[in-house]
Amino acid sequence: MTGLLTRMSPQTLRIVALLAVLMAVLLFFATQIDNYLTGRLFNRISSSVAIMALIATGQTLVILTRNIDLSVGSIVGFVAFATGSLIAALPGLHPVALVLFAMGLGGLFGAANGLVVAYARIPAIIVTLATLAIFRSLLVEFSDGRSITSNTLPDWLVSFPNTTVFSIGDFDFRAGFLAAFLVVIIVHLALNKLRAARRFYAVGSNPEAAEMAGIDTKRTVFTAFVLCGMLAGLAGFMFLARFGNITVVAGFGFELKSIAAAVLGGVNIFGGSGTVIGAFIGAVLVDLIETSLVRWPLVSEFWREAVLGTLILLAVTADAILMRRLIKLRTDREAARDHERERAAERDRATHAEAGS
Amino acid sequence: MTAPVLALRSVSKRFGMTRALDDMSIDLHAGEVHAIVGENGAGKSTMIKIMTGIHQPSSGHIEVGGTRTVVDGPHAARDAGIAAMYQEPMVFPDLDVAENIFISSTREGVLQNTRDLHRRADALIARIGMQVDVDRIASGLTLAEQQAVEIARALSQDVRVLIMDEPTASLSAHEAAQLRGIAAKLAAQGVAVVYISHRLEEVFEIAHRVTVIRDGQHISTQSIDAVTPESMIADMVGREVGNYFEKTPSTATDNVILSVRGLGLAGVFRDISFDLRRGEILCMAGLIGARRTDVALSLFGITPADSGEIAYKGQPIDVRSPAQAIRAGIAYVSEDRRKLGLAMPMSVRSNISLATLGHFLSPAGFLDRRRERETAEAYRDRLNIKTPDVDAAVDMLSGGNQQKVMLANWMAMQPDLLIFDEPTRGIDVGAKAEVHALIREFVAQDGAALVISSDLPEVLAMADRILVMREGEQMAIIDHADATQEYIMALATGQAALQKAS
Repeated sequence: MTGLLTRMSPQTLRIVALLAVLMAVLLFFATQIDNYLTGRLFNRISSSVAIMALIATGQTLVILTRNIDLSVGSIVGFVAFATGSLIAALPGLHPVALVLFAMGLGGLFGAANGLVVAYARIPAIIVTLATLAIFRSLLVEFSDGRSITSNTLPDWLVSFPNTTVFSIGDFDFRAGFLAAFLVVIIVHLALNKLRAARRFYAVGSNPEAAEMAGIDTKRTVFTAFVLCGMLAGLAGFMFLARFGNITVVAGFGFELKSIAAAVLGGVNIFGGSGTVIGAFIGAVLVDLIETSLVRWPLVSEFWREAVLGTLILLAVTADAILMRRLIKLRTDREAARDHERERAAERDRATHAEAGS
Repeated sequence: MTAPVLALRSVSKRFGMTRALDDMSIDLHAGEVHAIVGENGAGKSTMIKIMTGIHQPSSGHIEVGGTRTVVDGPHAARDAGIAAMYQEPMVFPDLDVAENIFISSTREGVLQNTRDLHRRADALIARIGMQVDVDRIASGLTLAEQQAVEIARALSQDVRVLIMDEPTASLSAHEAAQLRGIAAKLAAQGVAVVYISHRLEEVFEIAHRVTVIRDGQHISTQSIDAVTPESMIADMVGREVGNYFEKTPSTATDNVILSVRGLGLAGVFRDISFDLRRGEILCMAGLIGARRTDVALSLFGITPADSGEIAYKGQPIDVRSPAQAIRAGIAYVSEDRRKLGLAMPMSVRSNISLATLGHFLSPAGFLDRRRERETAEAYRDRLNIKTPDVDAAVDMLSGGNQQKVMLANWMAMQPDLLIFDEPTRGIDVGAKAEVHALIREFVAQDGAALVISSDLPEVLAMADRILVMREGEQMAIIDHADATQEYIMALATGQAALQKAS
């Protein structure tokens, strides 16, 4: 067993572990809540995770570079409202144009963050804490207290997230979820296969070494923030499509949830390691726990947040401890193997020496 | 003669009031190993940072291939074919070896082909003559392996100038010889190699020309045939130093302070037995991978041993944590000052009082800054720490001075037993002699020192007795009188047994 565990790459291992935790949570709630494991649960989680998965993906890109983006919730809110206003004013606008608008607008916000963080070298937590407030205030100013309601939106937009593309039994795979999942997969592949994307890892892993190795760390960090903004913008579009009604509090608190999802998904908060797939599973886990707690009669709604927080803490702690052990097992095994190899080489030398003399 | 590949022309660099480089000119030619030597803080690091575009000259300019060029960043340096590897290996701990090598290469495609990457990484590592699994995550590598990764990274590019800053400081003698071979081979292939080392014997082995700098100024550039170690050292320190590597007389008493019997840690080291007496310096010699540091870490309680016995001051002791070791009066000065030794952004003053903060509290429990500063000033004088001010951040100091701050931190604790891990790694000859004197002074005042060192002349100059380890095993304990470099090396490489047998 340990042999198999130590042979897998740490990343694969983490994903397997996350899936196991996901299963455990599902089984636990299945014993606590009647009628739990149904198609409805899947459909509910998959619809709501479509939004958080995109934000967590963007957040992961930023965290990988040893930064953080606290402004994503405000970006989602602003983009959702602005996109809703645009389509209400121009109902004939092509869907693709609308999506590009949402992503472009989000990208602009991200660029603002990225410029200050990367080029003025202000810590990301300060910059995005400020822009969290600034972007939200811009929304309040821009909306002038009005709300977007679903009856001002075209039908295609409102029905898009809930359109069932295909079903397996009771499990409906809806367009919104599939689209978000597709984006996660694309970003995941890009992070693993694109050379430029590997620099996110390099910069987060050792910024000084990255600088010395001739990597443009400023541009890398800037790019991460722009991409995060674009993904938050896309999430804003999905938010608009799913809820239809957009007020000034849209996307409130998403920054913390996205960070929780990323960290639960094994993204190192100090940068350099983690996967987007992990963050996606993390997002599913957060959503699952949240949704299930609502239906768990044992926990009053006042304690719900605390239970969620405790579970996150437990999961992250367990993950850290287990990972540390496994990494130690791996290094021990590698060291033993190196040792073996050195001995073998020495025996070779000794035999050569004997043969020579 | 063709134009130099890289040249500095009257380059000066000022940081605020300090002049790090002063009217420095140097020519680097293709195919030569050009050694640069100088004391700590002489300006070597600044010079490298100018060559690699990390710093811009305050005045003067750089010529690449005879053309005046502005190297305005590591990126531009790489495009000009200038690569550097530093004293502290620069690796990405979360990436695997292959990615570490090729991460900044410009000759790669858009997509990353893992298999191909691993194959080429394998080839580069093999060219260095090292054995490292290229799919290993870099955080698990030893310093020597990290160094190999760095060299491979430089080789992966079209390198015309390779700057090696103390490349062998962390390598064992065998690995260091391998590395010098690589440097010589690269020079033979037409690369201009800049070789910075405090190990003068290395300089004589591979350099064609040697430049001495002192206090940011160019002192001399000569063909290696025209210099002697004595003249080189004299140029470096600006004075003749005599008796530099002479053994100081032993101050050992009969009072055993530490007695170790059959100490072992499964899979790491086994059956280590020795006595250490007050007034004595016991050196642990061996190659990288001999597990000397692991023994030290066990004695200090970081990774407690799982077999054997330790008696300390006549009492059996089971050291389970560093805090317990420190309470008992055992101090451990790490070989990795950046990671384990110093709080780099904090001031010299704060670092010196770090381990003994409790001694600087006023009756009300507040930190007594005045007393803290006085202590720091006292150590600054005593250890000759070169810093503009004890409130300067430690990472602004040169390596040797950082080392001294670390020593001050532990000496302030007034321990009975000091464990030094590579006390003079990467510091210049003058500072080395100072550190040796400090250790001798410490044991003469009834202390005891266990010194881990890979620097054989240093071992011979300091040790009263020498414990030689090899791959987790204690090979022998030899008296200073019987010790020669050749004998220690034979034990450390496992050749001694063969010699005796034949």
